[in-house]
Amino acid sequence: MDTIGADIVLKTLAEEGVDVIFGYPGANTLPLNDRLADSPIRHYLMRHEQAAAHAADGYARATGKVGVCLSTSGPGATNMVTGIATAYMDSTPMVAITAQVNSDLWGRDAFQETDIIGITMPITKHSFMVRDVNQIASSLRQAFQLASTGRPGPVLVDIPKDILSARCGDQPKKAPTAATKRIANPEQIERIAQALNRSERPVLIIGGGVKLGDACVQMSELVQRAQVPFVTTMMGIGSVSSANGFNLGFIGTHGNELANRMIHQSDFILALGARFTERSTSVISEFAPLATVAQIDIDPTSIGKNIKVDLPFVGDIQEALAALIPLIVPRERDAWLERIRTDRQTLEEKLIDGGCGQAGTLIRKIQAAMPRETIVVPDVGLNQIWTVRTWQSHSPRSLLTSGGMGTMGFSVPAAIGARVGAPDRDVVVICGDGGFYMNIQELATISYYRLPIKIVVINNGHLGMIRQMQDLFYDARFTTSDLGDRVDLVAVARGFGIPAERVAVDEDPAEAIARMGSAEGPYMVEAMVDPDNYVYPIIPPGASNVEMISGK
Amino acid sequence: MAIEEHIISLLVNNQPGVLSRIAGVFSSRGYNIRSLCVAETTNPEVSRITLTSRAESDFTEKIKKQLDKLVDVISVTDFTGAPAVQRELMLISLRLTPENRKEVLRAIDLFGCRVVAMSEECLIMEITANKDKTAAILKYFEPFGVVEMNRTGAIAVFRQAREG
Repeated sequence: MDTIGADIVLKTLAEEGVDVIFGYPGANTLPLNDRLADSPIRHYLMRHEQAAAHAADGYARATGKVGVCLSTSGPGATNMVTGIATAYMDSTPMVAITAQVNSDLWGRDAFQETDIIGITMPITKHSFMVRDVNQIASSLRQAFQLASTGRPGPVLVDIPKDILSARCGDQPKKAPTAATKRIANPEQIERIAQALNRSERPVLIIGGGVKLGDACVQMSELVQRAQVPFVTTMMGIGSVSSANGFNLGFIGTHGNELANRMIHQSDFILALGARFTERSTSVISEFAPLATVAQIDIDPTSIGKNIKVDLPFVGDIQEALAALIPLIVPRERDAWLERIRTDRQTLEEKLIDGGCGQAGTLIRKIQAAMPRETIVVPDVGLNQIWTVRTWQSHSPRSLLTSGGMGTMGFSVPAAIGARVGAPDRDVVVICGDGGFYMNIQELATISYYRLPIKIVVINNGHLGMIRQMQDLFYDARFTTSDLGDRVDLVAVARGFGIPAERVAVDEDPAEAIARMGSAEGPYMVEAMVDPDNYVYPIIPPGASNVEMISGK
Repeated sequence: MAIEEHIISLLVNNQPGVLSRIAGVFSSRGYNIRSLCVAETTNPEVSRITLTSRAESDFTEKIKKQLDKLVDVISVTDFTGAPAVQRELMLISLRLTPENRKEVLRAIDLFGCRVVAMSEECLIMEITANKDKTAAILKYFEPFGVVEMNRTGAIAVFRQAREG
């Protein structure tokens, strides 16, 4: 068999360490699908291209490697858009490969032709249109390099079918790239250290970048050495163990009241790998009004994007922490820590059930029934907030959630990618009925590959978070948020070949959860909850982080 | 923050789609590009893009960081307020009448413009100047009846050799 473009694609992927791709074929991907038969790379056939992108994303989040997804041109490519945008917003390293119509048809509105490079320009770090079979290897190598370095993110490579089919010689071997080391700016780190040492009421803000930069160990070290309390963003949850008493929770609209309050009172904040989105800060002018702001990030555009930064540092988080830690002088801040202890106690007493009600109890029981190293994948909506507030993350790659994009339907396909990437770990999905419907076809993928993924659908018959906002801020006029109760989700799951059972609202879920935990293969539990089971406290739109409300 | 005009100059890879990415950085943040000039440099693999945009004073810093992130952008320079020579080329087609003919020709001479084409009813002049001067000249000739006007937008070069 002659070597063709498709072989070069697969060979280059293998060289980049890819062992699995998530995809869906079409007429224009066929040269690739054909040659997969001779490649060591496994191809997981999803049931929708959006799911292929989410699966690649879940794989990357669970493993730290670059996730790869593949689709055909036209609708295949446009279906991946939501998945690519989700990866972009959460800085997931991903390479999306789209097949394109033959290059002599470009711009002629050919069958299944679409300008996917143009469509994805704002949601990719970069993209490559391959115009020559001899560019395939170099484009893909650059794509992997770009996706996985700096602030990670998705890169798209569009390859026309005629180039995938074109005969070619062997491609030059990958040239070893010299590691480019950014020289740290030591005075900036010194200034941050001095400000932290001087401060009376410091708080660290740990963002998703700490996990992405593989700096969780150094992060814990900083917390321990400085004896400084920390908050996380939603993406930063699990970076540092909660066990040491310095964790104030996560900040923002649905975050922990203690975290929001302490940021408000602090005189110094150091953000690490966090970009101060409005979900974290609410009204920015009222965020941390007394604090000197220091920020460490690998992405220069994230510095000062949303907040005025007094002490910036652009660079690798591991290097930054390695330089910062020795400069920290441990000191006593008894008054500050005492204030935190008192506030924590008052706030915890005020909160019944962690603010998550019946759903919170359910999630606690799920975690108790699953092994410690379980990966939990919440969807988006109330189920997500219940999960991130209740689940105790013990390690960095154990809570995978769509934070920036807030993509409903993320959980089931992302869990597929996570399980494929981490076959030794248990994977549990916690989603609402609304999000479950959005990629429900992936039950077929789970069933086909016998992936032992556990799914808990928390069913309140409504779009719960929308319903809560309508209840609080739109005079309880519940329009367009009722999903009804006529669908038998247990029968649906069984129809896909997945064992399932239902737990009624007033029933103890313990036994069902135990059966799910001990099931060999996939399993679904549909847990009915009261539609009035919301999450409290929350921040109303337009209010500041310290104006959380606990009810109507 | 005060709104002012910024002149930004970029060296970019001379490839299809690059201009589209740069335009996207501006449009997705709500900035309007007021003028744009693109041409190859002495190295045919590299193009220079010079553009102007009106925005707040922290605009350059924010937009420069975003532009620097684009893979095909080699360098970004801000000419705003810098010691540089700035020029644009403008062509004005003007209606000629027996009454205005004399005054128009005198003014062209005074402003240092050049006549590049002329007929009984019409005259085309060329002006190369900085943007303030081209604006003033256009304003002066408008009452005579401008048939058509076209301009290149600003380009700029630093007065002194710079590092990097």
